[in-house]
Amino acid sequence: MIDPRVERLAELVVNYSLEVGEGQVVRIDGFDVATPLALAIYREALRAGGHPYTNLTLDGLHELLVKHGSDDQLEYVSPTQWREIEALDAQVTIWSEVNTRSFGGLDERRHGALIAAQRALSNRRWERIAAGELRWCGTLHPTNGHAQDADMSLRDYEAFYFAACHADTPDPAAYWRSLSATLNARAQSLAAVRELRILGPDTDLRVGVGGRTWIAADGKYNLPDGEVFTSPVETETEGEIRFTFPAIFSGREVEDVQLRFEGGRVVAAEASRGEAYLRELLDLDEGARMLGEVAFGLNYEIDRFTRNILLDEKIGGTMHLALGAGFAQAGGANTSALHWDLICDLRREGEVLADGERVWKDGSFVAPLDVAVAGERA
Amino acid sequence: MPERPVERLAEVAVSYSTRVQPGDLVVIESGPLAAPLVREIYRRVLEAGGHPLVHVALEETQEALLREGSDAQLEFVSPARREEIEAADVRIVLDAEENTRTLFAADPRRQALHKRARKPLGDRLFERSAAGELRWLVTLYPTHAAAQDAGMSLADYAEFVYRAGLLDEDDPVGAWRALGERLDSVAEWLGRKDELHVLADGTDLRLRVGGRRWVASRGFENFPDGEVFTGPVETSVEGTVRSSFPAAYQGRIVEEVQLRFEAGEVVAVEATRGRDFLEEMLALDEGARRMGEFAFGMNEAITRFTLNTLFDEKIGGTMHFALGKSYPETGGVNNSALHWDLVCDLRQGSEVYADGELVYRDGRFLDGLF
Repeated sequence: MIDPRVERLAELVVNYSLEVGEGQVVRIDGFDVATPLALAIYREALRAGGHPYTNLTLDGLHELLVKHGSDDQLEYVSPTQWREIEALDAQVTIWSEVNTRSFGGLDERRHGALIAAQRALSNRRWERIAAGELRWCGTLHPTNGHAQDADMSLRDYEAFYFAACHADTPDPAAYWRSLSATLNARAQSLAAVRELRILGPDTDLRVGVGGRTWIAADGKYNLPDGEVFTSPVETETEGEIRFTFPAIFSGREVEDVQLRFEGGRVVAAEASRGEAYLRELLDLDEGARMLGEVAFGLNYEIDRFTRNILLDEKIGGTMHLALGAGFAQAGGANTSALHWDLICDLRREGEVLADGERVWKDGSFVAPLDVAVAGERA
Repeated sequence: MPERPVERLAEVAVSYSTRVQPGDLVVIESGPLAAPLVREIYRRVLEAGGHPLVHVALEETQEALLREGSDAQLEFVSPARREEIEAADVRIVLDAEENTRTLFAADPRRQALHKRARKPLGDRLFERSAAGELRWLVTLYPTHAAAQDAGMSLADYAEFVYRAGLLDEDDPVGAWRALGERLDSVAEWLGRKDELHVLADGTDLRLRVGGRRWVASRGFENFPDGEVFTGPVETSVEGTVRSSFPAAYQGRIVEEVQLRFEAGEVVAVEATRGRDFLEEMLALDEGARRMGEFAFGMNEAITRFTLNTLFDEKIGGTMHFALGKSYPETGGVNNSALHWDLVCDLRQGSEVYADGELVYRDGRFLDGLF
């Protein structure tokens, strides 16, 4: 039985997000448990005239590599993988884990070495994306592992997830095109803002964004999507903020994070759980104490925290800030091995001022836009 | 298969069949069902100092491509695959089908087109292997699909696979070395012969093998294994041959194939089932009508037919031949996108003559020859 939602998501990825064309080489990455979506994307890419192929792996292999590999083996990237990156026109990453804690017991230094080696490949991928040579989209295929993290049954999680992608509606692409117009208008309206001030419980934070570019995340790089983001001016974050959702990095949770910024840098940090890990991450490198991103989550189908950053950072009515690497295309200059999204729930309490004027209250922008605001129902 | 045989199979595959060395790039291709075996092999490749790279293939992408792809899509070969064949030191393929008939309804003409386009990949693989630059292995992980084709439960089939690989022996590698030595002496002896004449039910076939090399298959490239093979002199094959077992190829079945060869070429074809497909494959290219391989199956631990060439062609007391491409290491020069093995049961009422002398009867070489 083919789930029509899976087929519609595949159609969306291929035709809306990646715009696969005649003769394009399309690689579909993921775990074998994502087979239904991988196959559906394969078929859609064929219909679009592309040359798709799947590049699937199995749960447990990374674990084996970290546990049994020598340093040399951990850091090895095959020359064929390097060349393969150059040959792709489009790439889909399907996140789909049978067990989201498969990396839970691994030696962190060794796991870090593996991630660092793989990052070199992904850096090259981002260069090609930035140069307009490669299209990329990351999406998810629901599993019991992801559902369990969300405290849901698989059936309920699927309903939640496909609704977030609007793959449960007859014409998801039409929805995303209209949302794209809304988000782009929103990004434009934020372009002139010099400073955002976020106010909420234990939160009064000023973030300088003058001269930076706001970007609409409209389903091209992620599905689901729905946010506007930029990289703040590195030296212009001042004040305090409290993050009510757990902050997750590499499968580890830090709860109730509170940060104080001075001159753009974190000068005080505490957490009710995982504080040592929080400090470890802040000390990772020079850029880890500075913000690389500030964003508004605007996907209102995502109405709950599910321990998955792909979805959590887009929860309608939230803001998120990332410690670490910024986005060059937004004008961000901060570099770091870290990019850690922390989510601030502003749905019930909280407001945001832009250069002193209230633009956001109780989980949505105050001023309506000229275009249809299809995605922003509170 | 119970846990232990999977470990044993992985052990033999890595340390004996492909002899993984430190620094080797080891490409492992598999279906998702073989995950337990992939993980065991992956771990052992790491322990041997190699760099394992896993590709999980989905049968249904092939079906979609053959059904919906344009000619250009069917003929496309990813540059990544080409480069990987050049870069790999070891290639391990794990057969783990979910449904052996996934391609049953595919258009043979389109299959042929796709096959021809991929021929250079196969050629390079054979070339690099013959030159000693690449070690490759095809083996099987038992699945319900394969068990069903064999007419067996999965548990019984797994047991069959386990025994066929001599994995129930105390020392499987030792057992393969011993079988390898025996096959060596057969191959050496056959290497001194020129003309073979095979007589069996529906079969009266003459071929020349003088000047060609006989290879003892000892579990290096196929597992399980156990055969001696060569590439016959391409123009020498004369007479008729009848296959004893149904043969599966690319998801299609042919039964009771009868072929007549003249001057090395198939000139007449009969089959009770799948004849159109057979004709299509024979028309694939110039070399598809010629015999690229001739071999004796000598694995006495495989006694039953299971509709899987990897096993059927090794049944002790059979011979098989392949239409299409020959293996370069035999000295065979036939070139084709096809390599299709057909098996003849010689265990009853058969005789084989070598240079006019009776050397083989009812499934066994006569005593005292080597």
